[in-house]
Amino acid sequence: MTEMMLKVEDLHARYGAVEVLRGLDFEVPEGNVVVVLGANGAGKTTTLRALCNMCTTTGTVLFEGDDITRAKTADIVRRGVAHVPQGRGTFPELSVMDNLKIGAYTRKDNEVGADVDRWFEIFPRLEERRDQLAGSLSGGEQQMLAVARALMCRPRLLLLDEPSLGLAPLIIEDLFERFAQLNKETGLTMLLVEQNANLALDMADYGYVIESGEIALHGPAEQLKNDPAVQEAYLGA
Amino acid sequence: MDVVLLLQRIFDALFNSAIYSSLALALVIIFRSTGLLNFAQGEMATFSAYIAFVLLAGAAPGVKGGGLASWIGAPLVTPVAIGLAVIIGIGAGAATERVLIRPLRNAPELALVNVTIGILLALNSLMGQWWGTGPRVFPPFFPSSPGDHIDIAGARIRYSTVGAWLVLLTLLLLLALLLRYTRAGLAFRAVSIDPVSAALNGIRVGPTLMYGWALAAGLGAIAANMSANSVLLEPTMMVRVLVYAFAAATLGGLDSPKGALVGGVVVGLSQTLIPAYVPFIGFELSVLPALVAMVVVLIVRPAGLFGTQRIERV
Repeated sequence: MTEMMLKVEDLHARYGAVEVLRGLDFEVPEGNVVVVLGANGAGKTTTLRALCNMCTTTGTVLFEGDDITRAKTADIVRRGVAHVPQGRGTFPELSVMDNLKIGAYTRKDNEVGADVDRWFEIFPRLEERRDQLAGSLSGGEQQMLAVARALMCRPRLLLLDEPSLGLAPLIIEDLFERFAQLNKETGLTMLLVEQNANLALDMADYGYVIESGEIALHGPAEQLKNDPAVQEAYLGA
Repeated sequence: MDVVLLLQRIFDALFNSAIYSSLALALVIIFRSTGLLNFAQGEMATFSAYIAFVLLAGAAPGVKGGGLASWIGAPLVTPVAIGLAVIIGIGAGAATERVLIRPLRNAPELALVNVTIGILLALNSLMGQWWGTGPRVFPPFFPSSPGDHIDIAGARIRYSTVGAWLVLLTLLLLLALLLRYTRAGLAFRAVSIDPVSAALNGIRVGPTLMYGWALAAGLGAIAANMSANSVLLEPTMMVRVLVYAFAAATLGGLDSPKGALVGGVVVGLSQTLIPAYVPFIGFELSVLPALVAMVVVLIVRPAGLFGTQRIERV
């Protein structure tokens, strides 16, 4: 049995009077890629936001055994949880290089430069555009920057919020290949929220399906792929 | 037109320009980071000048706080007193953010603006209560005897004007270096652009804003201590200056340090030159040209001369 990197118990989240998550329980084992599937408005984005304490929550979130439910967003990041939100977490008015430096803000070691080179190897387009403003990049390049900037803090858990949103199919495939490569080469644990169930389940080890803020279904990725209900709802079969 | 007189008027105006630019810069720092117009900026600055005044006076009769000041060695010499007062002003700026602004971080912006107006009124009353509303003599920051000036083409530029500009430009240079080359500067830029994204990069937003308030309070304190000699120290001495600084900051673009500098120069010059050469605008209306320029800029180019035209994601 692998050690649990993230363990979530009875997670509720609300925006004002509206309860969006109604008691989620899920786990992310170390080294795994776990995907959360669901329709628009099911609470996928809120799940990731709740993990980083970006909305009002109750319940328990354990990261590497420590309770981070009440920790501040910045301190959760410092513990090693990097979040790539839909808003992308980057700064359009700053250069690609400055964005990466901000990503490494929490680090005090002197290997930041080496890490920049490493992510430039995986995302070569970013190196070509290192001095351009992030806001001037194409959608795909911005998403690459968003991921690279999140990786700069050397996270142990990467939260990805619909990285495929708004991107062309070829770019999405390319991006997901790089995610798979990252997971394989570095053993980086990922929690991925996606509408593109096909690609996500191909890469993932385990999956959860949420409906109206509750977990409707979960199981190994292979099994979910062959589940008739999932196929009908998310795989367009 | 008398060229020497024109030059002399420009030289005289440049001192005010430096003060307006400094206070405008303080406003810009807080606007960029906290997204807030700090109406208390002027009063916070004046308060620091009163601290210097107390440190200079020591336990003189009728000086509130003089006893406390003499406990740390007052009366102090001018540079030490002003230096200490600026440091106290910086600390007070940080404390203001921590105690009065941060607890309201989720409140609407208008509520926060009201808080700064409240601070303005509270400080103003407090200063009146403690040190009286009448003007006080304040020592010069720079040599200001009748002979302390440089002659250029027949006109005279006073040491205090040259000094004020040297101080302002030095501070601007330090600020630019701080923002561009330090970790704290990077954090500050990130928080200014997007506090949510900044937190997602592990930057603690609250403390970063606190440094911004401290920095702004320091700039204001220096401006007040530089000008308290020429305008005489009184609780309302920065009220007019704040209006001009607002005009300067708006003109330059509320989020642009460069804009604050240029705006301050334009407002300072227009305040002196336009009444001098446009007969129907007397010196009583000297604020008018700056405010008209501000309105025109807001209509033609809402972001100001150097302000950021926001890049929007689509």
